[in-house]
Amino acid sequence: MSATENTGAVMVVGGGVSGMQAALDLAESGYFVYLIEQTGAIGGTMPQLDKTFPTNDCSMCIIAPKLVECGRHPDIQIMTLSKVLDVEGVAGDFTVRVKEYPRYIDQQKCIACGLCTDVCPIKVDDPFNEGMTIRKAIYIKYPQAVPLKYQIDQQACIQLNGPGRCGACAQVCPADAVNFDDREKKHSLHVGAIILAPGFQAFDPNKNHILGFGHYPNVVTSLQLERILASTGPTGGVLTRPSDNKPVKKVAFLQCVGSRDKNRCNNEYCSSVCCMSAIKEAVIIKEQLPDTEITIYHSDVRTHGKDFDRFFIQAKNEHNIHFIRAKVNAVQPKDKKGTLRIHYANEEGRQVNRSVDLVVLSIGMETPDSAIRLAEKMGVHITPDRFASISSFMPVASSKKGIFACGAFNGPRDIPQSVIGGSAAAACASMMLTTARHSLTHRPTSAVETKKDQNKPRTGVFICHCGSNIADVIDVNRVAEYAKSLPGVIYVDQNLFACAQDNQQYIAQQIREKELNRIVIAACSPQTHEQLFRKTLRSAGINEYLVEMANIRNQDSWVHRHEPEKATDKALDLVRMAVAKVALQKPLYPVSIPVVPEALIIGGGVSGMTAALNLANQGFPVHLIEKSNLLGGNALHLFQTWNGEQVPRYLKKLQEQIYDQDKITVHLKSTVTDSSGQAGHFKTSIKTATGRKKIIEHGAVILTTGGKRYIPNEFGYGKIPNVVASIEFDKLHMHNEMRVAHGKSFVFIQCVGSRNKLRPYCSKSCCTHSIQSAIKLKQEMPSRRIYILYREIRTYGQRERIYNQAREMGIIFINYDLQGPPVISEGENGLIVTTRDHILHRPMEIETDMVVLASATLANPESKDLAQLFKLPLSSDGFFQEAHAKLRPVEFNTNGVFVAGLAHYPKPLEESISQALAAASKATALLAQESVELDAIVAHVDPAHCDGCAICIDACPYHAIRLVDHAEPDGTAGKIIEIDPSLCKGCGICQGACPKRGVYITGYTYDQLLAQVDAALAPIEQNPAEILKNEQEHG
Amino acid sequence: MVYEVKVNELAEEFGVHRNTIRNWINSGSLPAQKAPGRRYVIQQEDYLKLCEKFGRKPKVDLPKRRIENEFQKDQTKESTTPPIHLNLKTSDLKDAVDFAGICTTCGSCASACPLSGVDGLDPRKIVRMAALGIGKELIDIEWPWKCTLCGRCEESCPMNIKIVTLMRTLRAHRQRHKVPHPLQKGVTTCLEKGNNLGIPKDDFLELVNDLGVELAETSCPGFVPPIDVRGARLLVTINSKEPFAQPDDMTRWWRIFYAADESWTISSENWEGVNWGLYTGDDNAMKTIVERIVDNMERLNCQALLLPECGHAYYATRYGLEKWFPESLQKFKIYSVFDLLLEYITENRITLDHAVHNQLTTLHDSCNYGRKSLKAFGHGYFDEGRTIVKKCCRNFIELIPNKLDNYCCGAGGGAWATPYAAERTYFGREKARQIQQAEAEIVVVSCHSCKDQLEKTLAREFNLNIEVKYIWELVSQALVLPEST
Repeated sequence: MSATENTGAVMVVGGGVSGMQAALDLAESGYFVYLIEQTGAIGGTMPQLDKTFPTNDCSMCIIAPKLVECGRHPDIQIMTLSKVLDVEGVAGDFTVRVKEYPRYIDQQKCIACGLCTDVCPIKVDDPFNEGMTIRKAIYIKYPQAVPLKYQIDQQACIQLNGPGRCGACAQVCPADAVNFDDREKKHSLHVGAIILAPGFQAFDPNKNHILGFGHYPNVVTSLQLERILASTGPTGGVLTRPSDNKPVKKVAFLQCVGSRDKNRCNNEYCSSVCCMSAIKEAVIIKEQLPDTEITIYHSDVRTHGKDFDRFFIQAKNEHNIHFIRAKVNAVQPKDKKGTLRIHYANEEGRQVNRSVDLVVLSIGMETPDSAIRLAEKMGVHITPDRFASISSFMPVASSKKGIFACGAFNGPRDIPQSVIGGSAAAACASMMLTTARHSLTHRPTSAVETKKDQNKPRTGVFICHCGSNIADVIDVNRVAEYAKSLPGVIYVDQNLFACAQDNQQYIAQQIREKELNRIVIAACSPQTHEQLFRKTLRSAGINEYLVEMANIRNQDSWVHRHEPEKATDKALDLVRMAVAKVALQKPLYPVSIPVVPEALIIGGGVSGMTAALNLANQGFPVHLIEKSNLLGGNALHLFQTWNGEQVPRYLKKLQEQIYDQDKITVHLKSTVTDSSGQAGHFKTSIKTATGRKKIIEHGAVILTTGGKRYIPNEFGYGKIPNVVASIEFDKLHMHNEMRVAHGKSFVFIQCVGSRNKLRPYCSKSCCTHSIQSAIKLKQEMPSRRIYILYREIRTYGQRERIYNQAREMGIIFINYDLQGPPVISEGENGLIVTTRDHILHRPMEIETDMVVLASATLANPESKDLAQLFKLPLSSDGFFQEAHAKLRPVEFNTNGVFVAGLAHYPKPLEESISQALAAASKATALLAQESVELDAIVAHVDPAHCDGCAICIDACPYHAIRLVDHAEPDGTAGKIIEIDPSLCKGCGICQGACPKRGVYITGYTYDQLLAQVDAALAPIEQNPAEILKNEQEHG
Repeated sequence: MVYEVKVNELAEEFGVHRNTIRNWINSGSLPAQKAPGRRYVIQQEDYLKLCEKFGRKPKVDLPKRRIENEFQKDQTKESTTPPIHLNLKTSDLKDAVDFAGICTTCGSCASACPLSGVDGLDPRKIVRMAALGIGKELIDIEWPWKCTLCGRCEESCPMNIKIVTLMRTLRAHRQRHKVPHPLQKGVTTCLEKGNNLGIPKDDFLELVNDLGVELAETSCPGFVPPIDVRGARLLVTINSKEPFAQPDDMTRWWRIFYAADESWTISSENWEGVNWGLYTGDDNAMKTIVERIVDNMERLNCQALLLPECGHAYYATRYGLEKWFPESLQKFKIYSVFDLLLEYITENRITLDHAVHNQLTTLHDSCNYGRKSLKAFGHGYFDEGRTIVKKCCRNFIELIPNKLDNYCCGAGGGAWATPYAAERTYFGREKARQIQQAEAEIVVVSCHSCKDQLEKTLAREFNLNIEVKYIWELVSQALVLPEST
C-alpha cells in the first residue's frame, strides 16, 4: 500500500480504561480517534470499583482525570450508545459503519441539572449499582460520567412506549433538551486502524443460583461489594447485612466462582484478578470494621503481580484475614434472619460448618456475546476460552491486519495490564499509520494574548449554581451581592453550570466586553476544572493563569448541606479570599523547549528491541544500548512462550529487523555513564565498546535493563549433579543430553528463591515454564513420571489451559509449604525426593532421575546506578518503581523516562513486549511534539532572601534544586540555590521548608497566600477596601 | 438415636476401667458397633440401660449433633500413615488413574460429600490415591462401599471428574467373594432365581391373586391382577421387597392403574425390577437383569415399559437399555414413575383430591431420578415430582438445598443392604437436619431405599416426627375412585 492511502484516524471500540488509554495515546501522537462506547458514558468498570489494589487508591478519583481528558480532547470524538455494525476495507483504510442509538436528549443542550430525573415517575434497577438501588428512566450512568449528559432508557420510559402518557421530563427541562423524536443514526466512518477494547462482563451467578446467589440477600458478588464499599454506592460506603442492615461480623469470600470451572460454567481459565480483588475488599472491610472476621476460601492464591504477594502477606499478618484452601460447597440459611451456614471440607478432609453474615462470590470475567459477534464479523479469531486470539510476540495484534485488541478482551487481566495494552495497541496503530500522522488532527490553537494592562485588577466573579448542588444550599444571590462590594471587582455573574460548553463561551465574551483581567470562579474543585477555565481565559485573550477558583461546592455546599446559613457565610469567605489572592496574581508564561525527536533505549533484550523497532518504524531515530555483545537479553535462554510459540526463531527475526532498520543505532558492549537534561532534551554519555565516551542527545529514554536469575543455594544445587535450575535444564533438554533423554522420572520444584522472607514476591513465569517443560517431557515419552512440587500454581489467565493439559496427561502436582520444603537425597537408583502429600497427609518418597529447580527472577543490580542517574525510585525488591501502579505503569514522575520488561517486575515474554510497546507509545506522544511546554507554576529563587542554607535541597522530592556559587551584592562569594524548571513540579515543599522566604512558587507567592489568609481572618463587616489596603501594605 | 462414644469417656463416666468397657462390648453385654477412629456407636436405649444400671443420670450433652463432629475427628492422625512410594512401578490401576488425573485437589467433592472424614477418607482422597496410582490399597478399603454413589461430589467437581464411575470401578475391581455379602447375595440370587429374594413363582402368583381379590372386594370392584396379559400396553415390574415384606404396598399402583383404566400386566417370571449389579460394579449381572425385562417386553408384546420404581432400579434399567439394548428403545416407550403419573394427571385419567393431605409435605429428590439422571440421560426428574405432590397435598415446602444439590438420604448405592449402619446413619444427618429445618410432616420419596432410610433409620435416630410416603402412595391415597356402578 502506498503511504498516502493511510487514513490518519483510528477507531477505538470500547470506552473502558484500556480503550480510553489507547484513545488518549493516539490523540497525543497525532491521530484523530473515534471512541465508540456501547453505554451512555465512557469509563467501563473502573468507576464502579471502590478502591484498586495493591495501593488502595480510590478508583473513581484516579479514573476521573482520564475521563475528563478523553472528554475534552479535541482529537477524540466520543460516540456513546453506539455499536459497530460492520467493517469494510483493508488496514490503513477501513470504512466502519456505526449505529448510534437514540439518547432522546440533545447533548448540546443538556446542562445535567437533574430536574428531569426528579420528576420521572419510572424506577428501574440501577445496573451501575449492580441492581442494588433504583434509578429513573431518565438518568446519567453515574454522577461523574463523561459525557455528563442525561439519557432515556427506551425500554423503561412510558412516554416512548406510549406517546402522550408522560413527558414530565420534557416539561421541566430548562434547556429544552428532551427530544422524544430522537431516532437511531447510522454513521460511516473512515479510519486507518481499529482497536478492539470491548472489555469483559462479570460472570452471572444468578443463572443457576450458584452458591445461593439470588436466593439469599446476604450472598453478594464481588462487584456488588465494591458498590457497597464505595462512598457513592447504595449504602454510602457502610457495610451492613443486606437482609436486615444488621452489622456484619463474619464474612466469607468464595473464590473461583465462574472461573477455573468446566462444570457450572465453561470457563476453564483463571480470571487473574479475583484473588487480589478479594484481598483488597477484605482489607477495606477490616479498615472500616476492624473486628470483622474475614475468611477467604481459595484454591491457589494467585497474587503474581508487582507487590501483590506483599499485599497478601500483609492481609494475612497485619489485618488478620484468614485464608483457607477449601471449596465451599453449600451456602444455606442458618436462621430466618439472614445468617448463612457455609459448609466445606478443610485441608485435612474434615467437614466444617461456619455461620457467616455475608458471603462474597469472587466472580470471574467473561467476554460478552456482543464482543464475540463483533469479532466474528470482523474476521478476528477467538480462542477456545472466548478471548481474542493473539500471539505472544504481537500481544495486541488481532488475527486481522490493521485491527488491534487490548484490555480484558485479550484474556482476563487487571487494570495495569489493560492500561499497558491500551498504550501498546496505540503504539502499533501509530506505527502502521505513521505516514498519516497529524493529517486529521486539530492543531492546537495558539492563544493570542491581547496586549492590555494586566496590572490593575479588573476582577470578574462568576458564581456557579452547579444545577442545584450549590444553589440549593447557598444563597447565591447574597454571595453575588457581596462579591460586587469586594475591591477590584468590576463584574459579577451567576451561571447554572459554569462549566457547560455555552457558559464557557459566555464567560469569554464577558471577559472581552468588560475588559476583565482577573477571574474568580466560585464553583467546584480546581483539580477537575481549573484546566477548563484556563482554556477559557486563553480563548478570551488574557493570560490563562489569572484565574482563581473558590470551591464553594466540594468544600462548602456538599459538606454543610444542613446548615445553609453558615454555608453561605463560608461561601462569602471563600470568594473574598479568592478575590484577594487573584488580585496579586501575575501573568505567567511557560518555558517551551524544542524536542529532540530521538530516543535512547537502555537494554537490548526483547523489550528494548521491541520499543526500538516501534519507534524507529514511526520515524524516530533510536540509540539502543546493550552492555553485552549480543542482542536478545534473557530471551536468549527461552524456547517457547506459554502457548508454544518458538522464541529463538522470533528472536532471530527481531535481531534482523533491528539491523535492517536504518534509524536504529545499536551500541553493543556499551554502558550509560552520565545523563542530564529533561523530557524533550536529554544529554546522555555512554562508554562504548572501544572505551570511548560518546554523548547522545535525545528526547526520551526507555529503560529495558532486564533482570537476573537467582542461583539457588538450596535443594543441593551445585552439590548434587542431577539437581539443575530450570534454565540449565532447558538447555540440556534442547540438546537432548543423555540424562534428560534417558530420564524416566523428573521432579520440578517451584518457588526456589521466590516468595520467601528475603524476596516476598512471585517470579510470575516459573509455574508456566515448568509445566511446559513437563508437558514436553511427557509428550516425548508418555511413560515418564513427572512430578511438580509447588506452593501455589499460578497459571493465571488462559495459561490455566496448560495446567489442565498437564494434569490430564498424568503429571502429578504435589503441594508443599514454605515451612516444609521437600528434601533431596541420593539413593541407589538416582535421587529420592521426600515430601508429604497435601491431600493424603502421608509422607511421600519419589524416586527420580532429575530434579529441576524453578529459580527466581531477580532485579538487575545495575538498576541502582541508572536510578540514581535518572533520579528514579526503586522498589524494595530492586525493580524500577513506576509513577502509578495502575494508571501510569510505564512512566515515572520524571517526565520523558519510561520503563518496560523485567526491569519493572518479573513477567513473561508477551507482557514484556506489551509493556515495551506501551513505553514506545508514551515516548511517541512526547517525540511527536515539536516542543514541550514546562508548567509555569514552578519554584523561583528570591536572591534577596536566599542565603544558600540548602534546607530546601533535601526537602525537594524531585531533585530540582541545587546549590550554586553566587556573588553577593557586596562582592563576597556565597551560595544560592538554583531551580531546574524542567524538574520542578510546583509542589511548594521548598517554599514551606524555607525559613527565609528565599524561594516561592509562582501563583502561590507569599504575598498571595498572606492576602488570602488576611482575607480569611477579616470579619465580613470590615470594609473590603481596607482589606485591600492591608494587602497592599504587606506587598 | 445413636451416640458415638470413646471407651475412655465411658469408663470415666461410669467409674470403671477402660478394659471393663471393652470387655462389656466384646462380650456383647454392652451392644456397640465399632465406628471410625477407635470409637463406638451405641444405641440410646443401651446407653440409658447402662445409666440405669449404674444409677447415673444420663448425660444430656451427648446430643446427636456430636455424632456429626466427633465421627470424623482426627482420623488422619490416628490412622497409620505409611509413606507413599512413587516410582516407575506405581500405578497398577490404569482405568482409575485415567479418571483422576485432572483433579486440582480443590476439595469441592470432599465439601459436598456427607461421608467425608469417615475412615479418614473422602472423595478427594480417593481420587488422589487413584491419581497417584495407589491401586491395591484403594480396592481393599471399605470407603467406596460406604459411599452411596449419590453423585453430589461429581455435581460440584469443577473438572467434571466422574467420581461416581470411579467408585463403581473400584467396587468392580474387588474380588467377588470380598464384596459385602448381602449385596453379592442379592445379585447371585437374582441371577439364579429371577428375583433378589428368591421368591418362588407359585408363591408370588398366589400372593398377587390374593391381593387382587382383596382389592376388588374393598375399593376396586372387578379388579383382577393382570398376569402375563399378552398385548397389554404397559409392562410393570415388581420390587421383590414388596411381595416379600410389604405386599400391601403393591396395591398402591394397582389402584392407580385401575382408576386410570390402564391396560397393563405383570410378568409371571423375571418380574424383578431391582438391579444390584449397579451396586456391585458387576456390568454382566446388570445387563442380564435388564435383558430379562427386554425379553418380557417382547414375550408379552407390550408397547410401553414402566421403568422400575426405586432410584437405582430406574437408573440401572434405563442405563442398561441405552447402553446394551438401544434398538429396543425404538420398539417400545419407556416411562419413569413420574412420567406415567403425570400423564394420568394431565390427561385427566385420574382425579385427585388434595384435601386428603393437610400436613406440611415435602419432596425428597432421589439422587438417581434427579441429579444422576440429568447427567446420564439429559433429564432430571425435579419438577414432575413437585407437580404431582402439589396435586395431592395442600401444604408444600421445599427442603434446602434441593434438586441438583439435594442431600442423599444416606442409603443409596446399596448402603441400605451393607453392614455399615453407623456410617449410613451418620451420612443421613444432613437429610435429617434439612427435614427438621423445613418442619415437614410428610416426606414424599420415589425410592425404596430412601423410604427405608428415612422411615426406619433417620426418623428414629434423629427423632423426626414424619410420615414417609412413596409418591405413588400419595397419589393412590388422594385418588378419587370412580363411583362403582
